[in-house]
Amino acid sequence: MFEIGFNDSGEVAVSGRLDAAQAARAQEFLDAAGNQCVLDLTGLEYISSAGLGVLLRTHKRLMTVDSSLELVNVNKHIADIFRYSGFDKLFVIKAA
Amino acid sequence: MQKMYKRSFDQIQLIVADTDRFFAEEKIDESLRMKVDLSVEELFVNMVSYNTETVKDILIEMRRLNGGIEVSLTDYDVERFDPTAASEVDVDAPLAERTPGGLGLYLVLKMADSIHYEYHDRKSKITFTNSLQQSD
Repeated sequence: MFEIGFNDSGEVAVSGRLDAAQAARAQEFLDAAGNQCVLDLTGLEYISSAGLGVLLRTHKRLMTVDSSLELVNVNKHIADIFRYSGFDKLFVIKAA
Repeated sequence: MQKMYKRSFDQIQLIVADTDRFFAEEKIDESLRMKVDLSVEELFVNMVSYNTETVKDILIEMRRLNGGIEVSLTDYDVERFDPTAASEVDVDAPLAERTPGGLGLYLVLKMADSIHYEYHDRKSKITFTNSLQQSD
């Protein structure tokens, strides 16, 4: 089950499976989240290319206002996907 | 496991649940799960997105291998499109040159231990395998 919302620290917390069926919902939330730039991925179990697209679009939008998306608490499986897709070179990523 | 799925992203949740059940029943190592889920989703989404000329369902088959799994996805009434010949994605490109598209099939080719494409009678079948021996 996919969930996205703000955590107690005011960061955007994402959990569950970010797949093609959930990408539009995630994009809508992040677009409305303004310039919030920290994504807590503690509970993220799975991400596909559709989810990666959401992160990339959000990152590019933030770059236009001299900000960037920071991905924190990234588990090993998700980090592998980031590495395969070259996202480890595009984002600031902090392991769990 | 052999099952037909409607051409909708909403089916992904059902596919995941069926994959859960298959892995449990066949006692397939869970370390293969992420790669299998990713490849199944990317191939399924590709079929749904690019074959809009038909309403025919998509067939997904899973078979246990010694130390792994073989998965096939079959699309019907479709033009030939060989995902194994998909163009390379430059994952080292700078941010300005990166676009959201194209990553899906690239990831499938990276994740699968083997991948095979068949096309005949307007039927497109993609089969991939993942096994523990090949898994990193």
